[in-house]
Amino acid sequence: MKVKALSELYPILAVTVVVFISVALLGGLDSVTRDMIEYQKELKVQRMLNEIFPDMTSYTSEGDIYIISADGTEIGFAFLAVGKGYGGDIDILVGLEDETTLKGIAVIAHAETPGLGDKILAPDFTDRFVGVNIADVAVPDEGGKIDAITGSTISTKAVIDAVRTTAMEKVKELKD
Amino acid sequence: MTKFWKQFLSGIVISNPLFVLALGLCPALAVSVTVVNGIGMSVATAFVLLGSAIVVSSIKKFVPDIVRIPIFIVVIASFVTIADLTLKAYIPTLADSLGIFLPLIVVNCIIMGRAEAFSSKHPVHLAIADALGASVGFAIAMIIISFLRELLGTGQLTLKIAPYLDLHLFTLPVLGENPMALFILPPGAFLLIGLLLALFRWRGWMKSE
Amino acid sequence: MNELMPIFIRMITTSNIVLVMYLGLCPFFGVSKKLGPAISMGIAVTLVMIIASVATWLIHDYILMQFDVMYMYIVLFILVISSLVQMVEMTIKRTNATLFNALGIYLPLITTNCAILGLTFLNIREEYTMLQSIVNGLGAGIGFGIALILMSSIRVKLEIADVPKSMRGLPIAYIGATILALIFVFTFGGIV
Repeated sequence: MKVKALSELYPILAVTVVVFISVALLGGLDSVTRDMIEYQKELKVQRMLNEIFPDMTSYTSEGDIYIISADGTEIGFAFLAVGKGYGGDIDILVGLEDETTLKGIAVIAHAETPGLGDKILAPDFTDRFVGVNIADVAVPDEGGKIDAITGSTISTKAVIDAVRTTAMEKVKELKD
Repeated sequence: MTKFWKQFLSGIVISNPLFVLALGLCPALAVSVTVVNGIGMSVATAFVLLGSAIVVSSIKKFVPDIVRIPIFIVVIASFVTIADLTLKAYIPTLADSLGIFLPLIVVNCIIMGRAEAFSSKHPVHLAIADALGASVGFAIAMIIISFLRELLGTGQLTLKIAPYLDLHLFTLPVLGENPMALFILPPGAFLLIGLLLALFRWRGWMKSE
Repeated sequence: MNELMPIFIRMITTSNIVLVMYLGLCPFFGVSKKLGPAISMGIAVTLVMIIASVATWLIHDYILMQFDVMYMYIVLFILVISSLVQMVEMTIKRTNATLFNALGIYLPLITTNCAILGLTFLNIREEYTMLQSIVNGLGAGIGFGIALILMSSIRVKLEIADVPKSMRGLPIAYIGATILALIFVFTFGGIV
């Protein structure tokens, strides 16, 4: 009786042992890599912020807004804006010098068409946002100062609109 | 020793997982946008293939038939997790480029297929040969596909070694100015694979239907 | 873009799971030769995607996050998905023979499939709520089904067409997929 029960139990035992070993092994690896993975994520954010704020020495985050400092003085803010592009979401990092002026933008992720929509990545386009007043972030037809790129109007407009609306949102948040 | 080499070589040409068996195409097409990605994916897949082949072959005597599939799954998934965590910690740029396809290695038909069909039925050294052969075959196929896609799609070949550190290898004369971006996109991928598969069949390296 | 309708529409069009996201290619080419199986497969996939989305979301929130074992996500997701689908298959087999013949035989093809698992990874990556995950799965499944149905119409015509020997079967199917992908990538752009 005991032998029969054991042989029926064996498959379940085998699976349990394998799962246990797996959990132990992976858990061990996790404790070794966890800090490193966090560090890499921080590094990534830092690099992105540095692109817009080359003078940055440190930053903190309040909610979803980054407060950028250089040697102790606040030099600006940054936050993520999401635009509705041609192929999907466009993730944009927006930097503000103060509550009215843009420091610059950087496109972090997109699904736009290579050769057409991905022109939003080029400094040629992103430079147009430098030093611009938030209220002026729009195409000339809508009273703004930023030209869209011909051939990729949807992608560029998506970026422009997202930057403006999110900027206005965040500035309001900051004031509270 | 000849058995070892025979098994190894068959994985590369006769039973090339991508071109001949048409397995593992999902990650192959998705990731092969640049050569760096292609190589990275091949290495990660090879690691999982080898690791799971060795383990499956070693424990085959202790694995009851009824539960062999769940056990194989756990073994393969564990190796994939090892690759996932290790890359995210030490080569995050590659982990980011591979995206969800890195953890998706776990359902790469090649791996489960080899474990079920071969590793569980043969001694360890042959399982290693089989895994190595399939890995090399996969790698060669991946590199060919991503080489063509990157070259035709961007007109240049760049190796992204680290963030903000690109080793630009060369730019093609005409394509450099006007690359056929189509090849970086899904339609181009499908087109390329279709043509390559047809080529393999035409040359008799793969049986036609 | 986290409202439900955009997620749904996007999954069918600009982020079509098989034609744009490269997921689910194996079953896509395996089951697209005739219209009947294509429809059955589409329904089966949609069903499994919803079940998988719910199950993995629960695991994520109540086990992975709760016990701080996020690293077990790959192992747990795939084990749970394959077990659940097997259970669904057995239930259908015992309760409804006709449904089983229509749907059930496709379920094993879907279990260890990059489409299902890939979708669950997407739900995690986008940090969707339970409802968003379900809509994501629904949209993905329907997108898959539509692509499959379109593909089968093309392949049925290709079967009787005069195709060169080396192109027959899989290669020409990929060319067909090229055209479908072109349509999905370029005409649906900007929809959401």
